[in-house]
Amino acid sequence: MSTITDLVLQAAPATKARGYWATVGRRIMRDKVSMACALILILIFASALLAPWLGLADPYQGSMIRRLRHIGTPGYLLGTDELGRDMLSRLVYGGRLSLIIGILPVILAFVIGTGLGLVAGYVGGKLNTAIMRTIDVFYAFPSVLLAIAISGALGAGIVNSIVSLTVVFVPQITRVAESVTTGVRNMDFVEAARASGAGPLTIMRVHMLGNVLGPIFVYATGLISVSMILAAGLSFLGLGTKPPEPEWGLMLNTLRTAIYVNPWVAALPGVMIFAVSICFNLLSDGMRSAMDIRN
Amino acid sequence: MFAYIARRIVYVIPIVISVALVCFLLVHITPGDPLVAVLPADASQELAAQLRTAYGFDRPLPVQFGLWLWRALNGDLGNSIATGRPVLSEVMRAVGNTVTLAIFAALIGFTLGLLFGLIAGYFRDSWIDKTATSFAIAGVSVPHYWLGMVLVIIFSVQLNWLPAVGAGPGGSGAWAWDWDHLRYLILPAVTSSVIPMGIVTRTVRALTGDILSQDFVEALRAKGLRETNVFRHVVKNAAPTALAVMGLQLGYMLGGSILIETVFSWPGSGLLLNSAIFQRDLPLLQGTILVLALFFVLLNLLVDIAQAAIDPRIKRG
Amino acid sequence: MRTEKTKTMALAAALAIALAGLPRAAGAETVLRIGMTAADIPRTLGQPDQGFEGNRFTGLTMYDGLTMWDLSSADKASVVIPGLATEWKVDDSDKKKWIFKLRPGVTFHDGSPFNADAVVWNVDKVLKQNAPQFDPSQVGVTASRMPTLASARKIDDMTVELTTKEPDSFLPINLTNLFMASPAKWQKFYDTAEGADAKAKSQAAWAAFARDASGTGPWKMTKFTPRERLELVKNAAYWDKARVPKVDKMVLLPMPEANARTAALLSGQVDWVEAPAPDALPEINQRGFVLYSNEEPHVWPWQFSRIEGSPWNDIRVRKAANLCVDREGLRDGLLAGLMVPATGTFEPGHPWRGKPTFQIKYDKPAAQKLMREAGYGPNKKLTVKIQTSASGSGQMLPLPMNEYLQQALAECYFDVQLDVIEWNTLFTNWRRGAKDPTANGANATNVTYAAMDPFFALVRFLQSSMAPPVSNNWGYINNPKFDELVTKARQSFDPAARDAALAELHAASVDDAAFLYVAHDVAPRAMSPKVKGFVQPKSWFVDFSPISMTP
Repeated sequence: MSTITDLVLQAAPATKARGYWATVGRRIMRDKVSMACALILILIFASALLAPWLGLADPYQGSMIRRLRHIGTPGYLLGTDELGRDMLSRLVYGGRLSLIIGILPVILAFVIGTGLGLVAGYVGGKLNTAIMRTIDVFYAFPSVLLAIAISGALGAGIVNSIVSLTVVFVPQITRVAESVTTGVRNMDFVEAARASGAGPLTIMRVHMLGNVLGPIFVYATGLISVSMILAAGLSFLGLGTKPPEPEWGLMLNTLRTAIYVNPWVAALPGVMIFAVSICFNLLSDGMRSAMDIRN
Repeated sequence: MFAYIARRIVYVIPIVISVALVCFLLVHITPGDPLVAVLPADASQELAAQLRTAYGFDRPLPVQFGLWLWRALNGDLGNSIATGRPVLSEVMRAVGNTVTLAIFAALIGFTLGLLFGLIAGYFRDSWIDKTATSFAIAGVSVPHYWLGMVLVIIFSVQLNWLPAVGAGPGGSGAWAWDWDHLRYLILPAVTSSVIPMGIVTRTVRALTGDILSQDFVEALRAKGLRETNVFRHVVKNAAPTALAVMGLQLGYMLGGSILIETVFSWPGSGLLLNSAIFQRDLPLLQGTILVLALFFVLLNLLVDIAQAAIDPRIKRG
Repeated sequence: MRTEKTKTMALAAALAIALAGLPRAAGAETVLRIGMTAADIPRTLGQPDQGFEGNRFTGLTMYDGLTMWDLSSADKASVVIPGLATEWKVDDSDKKKWIFKLRPGVTFHDGSPFNADAVVWNVDKVLKQNAPQFDPSQVGVTASRMPTLASARKIDDMTVELTTKEPDSFLPINLTNLFMASPAKWQKFYDTAEGADAKAKSQAAWAAFARDASGTGPWKMTKFTPRERLELVKNAAYWDKARVPKVDKMVLLPMPEANARTAALLSGQVDWVEAPAPDALPEINQRGFVLYSNEEPHVWPWQFSRIEGSPWNDIRVRKAANLCVDREGLRDGLLAGLMVPATGTFEPGHPWRGKPTFQIKYDKPAAQKLMREAGYGPNKKLTVKIQTSASGSGQMLPLPMNEYLQQALAECYFDVQLDVIEWNTLFTNWRRGAKDPTANGANATNVTYAAMDPFFALVRFLQSSMAPPVSNNWGYINNPKFDELVTKARQSFDPAARDAALAELHAASVDDAAFLYVAHDVAPRAMSPKVKGFVQPKSWFVDFSPISMTP
């Protein structure tokens, strides 16, 4: 796709890379939207990480008397859920699992996919064919279908969700990585390095990784939003996290019965998924344009 | 061109067979008893064994795969365990409903996407661009199943304007293209149109912007070329990529409809898949996944060919 | 063909009606539209799937059994009454043989007569493997509900002899589950069916029969869209004139999602929904819709493991758990009134209740005392693990309810751990028992059960020979007293004596705190005020015949 080729065109010899990344960093710092998103994400991450020390109510402790309190009820800033558990606390704690099952698959797929793509792209030949044709088979499934099929087969559970989403993203990242690697491999400075007698491992490490990782990283950041929505979607269908764990998709599922009583509380977990997903998308956009020297 | 098409088709065959194998294996790693739909928990072991033989689940897996594949090639995907009806007819009927929904959603999503994208691309960095881009980014970031829920609350429960679920007053079997039926299509179609809307907007905006910022467009303009001609130029250059993106999106709407169809009880392939998963109906499950994946493969093939037809430079090996 | 103009006008009119939120103009025909909880239309070929909801909608509507349930009263327990058989008795010399006299003058919807041949044919469809009409897909749901029935033999046109594997006084109750499909209609499909062999032809014939079925019931099948919609019309020629339906047509729509069902009712898409979303009840009431519910023969329990090492082997622990749960609080809070607190499998007033001495109620001090006697306390909690599912037929609100129990029992020094698995897996594990690795160390399982029939309500859990793999004595209960009472009940052929023996068995099981009894479902349903004449019996089933619709 065009974005990949664009990114490859900016590849530079390792010596120039440091200056390039500094420029990218400066550009991104000047982008208000990206910075706002980064701030929101840092807040959500930090609160999820520090949840036990924030003095929040017990996210598992419910009570039948105080079910479905409205937003703004004294003592329950964001109301309570269908079991009388504090929504604020569950949303904060819910971030832990939601972010893990949303982001971990992308990280795993980034590692696996980059590895496969680098090898396929650099070595080429039969190995490339073997890797890329296998990848094609998984690519032949629409991603939602593949995620659901694997989760449906493995059964509900956090680990199974992560596995199924990783399997969905590996082919996508591998394709990008392979395409970028192939592009960079044929560039002049790599040719030059090879001609000057550098070994394949050195070339891979010094010249390729820097040029290849950037574009893949940007691509993977864009996937996080998809992954968050899909992971929560699996839980929403009953194929992901199991109760009583707080997790946004699952909370959305169990709160559905409350939409007649307290629609705003029922909508909150969706707002969280939306917020994280849109922030990652905007951040990924910001990085992409920061890396686009032509602008 | 002809050789290219032939090569693409030959290339698809091993993919199709591998896809079938993946479907089969996925479904058979499933824990739980495949006969749970017809065999109550209190049935005797003897009865269970008798039925397992009757349904052929006692045979070795490779034999089961071979038989299934052979029958599938002959257009027979077996019978659903839960209902006893042929899987193929079940899936095709459901796919028909999914296609109806997808086309309607595509109509909304692609039209708005193209419109927003073109306008935003033409007026880069104006307020129009910013509004359109915000719509687009919201579209790709919103959990659509949640959006569906919210729309149901507003338009069905609160305002009572549109039906919340189902495919028409008489079910999809009595579908007609009139208002009485289209009412049922509006909420699910709008909900599933937001993602393609966002993605098409972003793609078209980027393409339009790129093309307009190229030197030769300036040159054309300088030579006094009329804006309609510039526009034609933009469309011609953007078409192959936009087409590919829209084709892919259509494929996702066909194959990934499970969340939307579950929210709206729309009787399509996604809802069928959902019930096959939760009923552990193996023949139905593998049949549905296979048919959906094959549609996706076919659609990708058509997009490739169409792309190559429009712009002969793009030929993928 | 209509002209363009009338089309536009029709569209405008439809738009106006739709926007006004009015129901569509109804003709003279009265239609009752029902949103079911099933994800699919239950099978229509005679033996429905989808559990008792299936029997309710596609069994008892289109078909009759030899015996039937009395569904006419909302107050009395629902008991077995004559159906297509007018009377029956066991053979005094051989208690394994029963004689059933058939109802004369009954015809199937296709016009063919109902007689002894039809009964034998219908028994053979699930029990005789070499019969052409034998259908494996119907065997599971049927044979397991009539575990002792062996064969049928015609004596004369209106008399049938049924044979059981062992003497079994429950047979007439079991037979409510065997629905009589028309052999003549099936034969017609079979004769024209295509298929490589007899088995394939038989399968094709059943598939055709399912699309165009014929029984003797008060409703006839007309239109069928798989997974979406089934239309039944009234059978004006029904043999029981008092039960000829008052509405002309009944439309059944599967709506597995509670919110979707509720929204469909509120927006006027259907007139009746099964199990509306509990939190929507105030809204339903406020909009003038009518809510019905009644105690159902259903139990929401924890079924204890009694294998070696299980903490539940101590009766003090079992009793403490039963005393530590505030069932009224559960009913009024989480379930919005939609449950009946369970103090056993059957509640007072039921013929099989008996007189248990152990009173199941909320008594936390007594429960804590029992636990302390058993050696536990605030600093020495008893860890128990429960296997349950996130959803499932009859499971009510499994997770919230289990979390409620988790909190309640924590007060009595229990540390409850939940092992949440998929519903089908839970159900499959139920048959495998507490010793199987699939139990995953759980020492109680949370599968709800229907308690209409003595075998399903009591025997399969309490009799030692019903331990896995035979049946659902999941926890391997082995109590000689239970075994003795089961045998006594099964061999009491006088209905009153049989009921007395069952009552004794039930009382013994409550006194032994054999389960943690939590709730009975109340089969909530919400209806439009236009639906009149509905009576909700204490049953899983409903009689649709007396219902009428006001315009």
